[in-house]
Amino acid sequence: MADTLPRTRFNPWPATVFTVLCVLAVLFLLPTVGVLLSSIKTTREISMGQLWSAPASLFLGNFTEVLGNPAVHRYFLNTLLVTLPATAVSITLGALAGYVFAKLPFRGSNALFLVIVAGMFFPPQVILVPLFRLFNGLGLIDTLWPVIIVHSALGLPICVLMMRNFFATVPNALREAAIMEGASEWQVLTRVVLPLSLPALAVLATLQFTWIWNDFLWPLIFTQSDTKRTIMIGIVNLKGQYSVAWGVQGALSLVASLPTLLVFLFFQRFFIKGMTMGAVKG
Amino acid sequence: MAQLQLSDLRKSFGQTDVIRGLNLDIADGEFVVFVGPSGCGKSTTLRMIAGLEDASAGAILLDGANVTRARPADRGIAMVFQSYALFPHLTVADNIGFGLQLQKLDRATIAARVADVAETLHLTPLLGRYPRELSGGQRQRVAIGRAIIRNPKVFLFDEPLSNLDAALRVQMRLEIARLHHRLGATMVYVTHDQVEAMTLADRIVVFNDGRIEQVGSPMELYDHPANRFVAGFIGAPSMNFLPLRGTEGRAESPGMAPAPLPPGKETATELGIRPEHLTLATGTTGDLTGEIELIERLGAETYAYVRVPGQPTDLTLRLPGDTTLRPGTPVTLTIDWPRARWFSPDGRVL
Amino acid sequence: MEQHNRFWRIALLSLPLGVFGLFVIWPLFSSFYYSFTDWNGFDANYSYVGFDNFAKIATDRLFLQAAVNTTIWMIAAIVLPTALGLMLALLLDSRVAGARVFKSIFYLPICLSAVIVGQIWTWIYQPDWGLLNTVITQVTGEKFKYAWLAKPDTALWSVIVAWSWQQTGLSMVIYLAGLTAIPGDLLEVCEIEGASPWQRFRRVVLPLLAPSTVVVVALSVINSLKGFDILYIMTGGGPFNSSDTLAMHMYNESFKKYLMGYGSAISVVLFLIALAIIGLYFRQLRKVDRIYG
Repeated sequence: MADTLPRTRFNPWPATVFTVLCVLAVLFLLPTVGVLLSSIKTTREISMGQLWSAPASLFLGNFTEVLGNPAVHRYFLNTLLVTLPATAVSITLGALAGYVFAKLPFRGSNALFLVIVAGMFFPPQVILVPLFRLFNGLGLIDTLWPVIIVHSALGLPICVLMMRNFFATVPNALREAAIMEGASEWQVLTRVVLPLSLPALAVLATLQFTWIWNDFLWPLIFTQSDTKRTIMIGIVNLKGQYSVAWGVQGALSLVASLPTLLVFLFFQRFFIKGMTMGAVKG
Repeated sequence: MAQLQLSDLRKSFGQTDVIRGLNLDIADGEFVVFVGPSGCGKSTTLRMIAGLEDASAGAILLDGANVTRARPADRGIAMVFQSYALFPHLTVADNIGFGLQLQKLDRATIAARVADVAETLHLTPLLGRYPRELSGGQRQRVAIGRAIIRNPKVFLFDEPLSNLDAALRVQMRLEIARLHHRLGATMVYVTHDQVEAMTLADRIVVFNDGRIEQVGSPMELYDHPANRFVAGFIGAPSMNFLPLRGTEGRAESPGMAPAPLPPGKETATELGIRPEHLTLATGTTGDLTGEIELIERLGAETYAYVRVPGQPTDLTLRLPGDTTLRPGTPVTLTIDWPRARWFSPDGRVL
Repeated sequence: MEQHNRFWRIALLSLPLGVFGLFVIWPLFSSFYYSFTDWNGFDANYSYVGFDNFAKIATDRLFLQAAVNTTIWMIAAIVLPTALGLMLALLLDSRVAGARVFKSIFYLPICLSAVIVGQIWTWIYQPDWGLLNTVITQVTGEKFKYAWLAKPDTALWSVIVAWSWQQTGLSMVIYLAGLTAIPGDLLEVCEIEGASPWQRFRRVVLPLLAPSTVVVVALSVINSLKGFDILYIMTGGGPFNSSDTLAMHMYNESFKKYLMGYGSAISVVLFLIALAIIGLYFRQLRKVDRIYG
């Protein structure tokens, strides 16, 4: 069918569709707009019911308070200290295991693969208690280590799934040719297969970064003192402390979301690909 | 059935003109084949007739009615796609009866008509199966069945045999030909395979770069091509082309003995001669001298590729199947001059 | 070659499997173990109590309520984001202008933390100055101060709406991918056969979207079982446990009441439910794959 150019999908009412989409888009944006508005208004304005009206002036005090607060800096640092290593470790381990499942399968490897992938689907509550006991016994409660370790471990299923699926698309002939040239398996992985896998790695990095940065449950369980909190716990905490400082909360929420928002905006492609690819492959 | 008329039909995608003014009349019950190289516009034209593409200018008339702006469903056409386009989630029976179900006919009527069509195409035992369980040929028949049940004025076929293997293609070609005889319907058939065109068509329409090069019966196109493109496209192996220089009433070409230039062919720059119109000279006198480079034996006939010094490509020569000639043999060839075709610099036949 | 392969299998798998085994599989079995004890999370000593914890579950009114809530949550999670996501995907698939911008807008909430989402929506539901009450006040002319998150009747549903807002983008994206997978010529057949848009949707598009639907529903169910973060932020399970889910209940029992043994038992039940659902999902996926694959 080299003759024909693709026909546009059938759209009987373009104007109506566009209008409906605009209305829905506005509705969808309202909550986010709410946060934006709250961050540039004083708490007093908000408590007087003026959150949702157009801003008369831009109040930046919330931002200065948030950005200047050393506790917030610490929260950010902690979150980074957790997110970056956990992302790197889970992807690395995922690549190692994925490679074996894709290129060096053995009897039972498929079943093992499914067991690992199934780990994606279970409520983390199931292993909350034993993990708490384990890290308590190791004296690691109220440090960042448990969070890093658990995120690395729980990130394995999705990383293994995606890397294995991707590696499976790399022709076996490449591996065999490299081995005939004298390459060890490690060299095949690092010099031949991994360089070809950059798109898949980008997808995983995007997903893992977002997921771990946004996580709330594990830091909640494993950290207690303020110096060890991550940013999401920090927000919740602020709610407790300053139960009425809505403006500040809004600003902090915005700032806390910035990294994942930026990642999303620049790597949208990868994000979407990751969601559909990981989900569609059984 | 119908008379189909294309009147100055044009199509552009943005700035690019894809179809440049087509004029064509198709008579009721005719089997017309659109043929041409990739990208020539034959499929686009078919899709415009179907209504799947909008014409940028010009008119399409079906039975005298202007259907240029009509929706596909209102035109009274049916189409068989290259990929068969069968619904994977429906049985053969439901696939064939799809259109009738849309029209909300009662189940008994639909079942009866589906059974009828299935009988015609020998699909009755397969009615309960799903497309994924069928072979390529069976799927093609289901697609044809879905077209037949609509009782259309015109059948449109978009390269329906391209996805089949060679043996199956021959078989399905015959089935389509039989179908045409049985139904007597007007059929427009698109293919890039000129063998299909030659064997199936009442008339062939040769497309090139959005224009119609020539319309005619298969033998008309074969014996009397209107231009160099048609001459080279129709016929396999294709016609031999020799570059020509005409001086003082003589035709000269490298490796060829100068021959008299017939009247009216003074401006010819190319000489065309089909493989079967070249023969081995009995003596050593002939029109062309060269050496056999390659022999291809097809059983019933043999093709020899002769290297004539100075000619841009080897010349193809048809020999009897039991010839004993071998590569490396020097040969002299005689041209059957009345059958030769002379072409002007702009490609027209003279 | 086989020798070489075997070495590398072990070498490459050891670390990932080690980490996964130690921090996921082993805790899983431990949970089973603890569910048979009365451990409170701190004492070194605890005793074996047999099936007492599980017996307690059967009579626990809170557990029952949490189970009901979880079921409501799951059904809403299946219906709301799925239907809405499908609708958005259909609208966006028709080559409308600015499709990419629209897609980003609908998909954006996915990249926000549950904490943020909970935060945002708490402000929408705020009785005094929240968006919802403000709008209702404007429309009805009367001061409307209903406390959505503080009233047992509406607490759970308010959170469900917030959660759906976030999850719709995901189902939209999956459906969009499914839509592009439908071969163009099947839709052209519909044009030629004269199918109305509704007929085309019901008879061709929706059936061919079955693989995507399976994925979306499964994901919704799984995610709803995990649903904890947003509830914690918005209602904490209250008021009066009206928005408790099983995950929430388990957390409360384990970390608020320090009944870790009992909490483990709840998590075991949760695990078994998840197992059943995953089994169903894989079976359905294989069935769909066979038809459309």
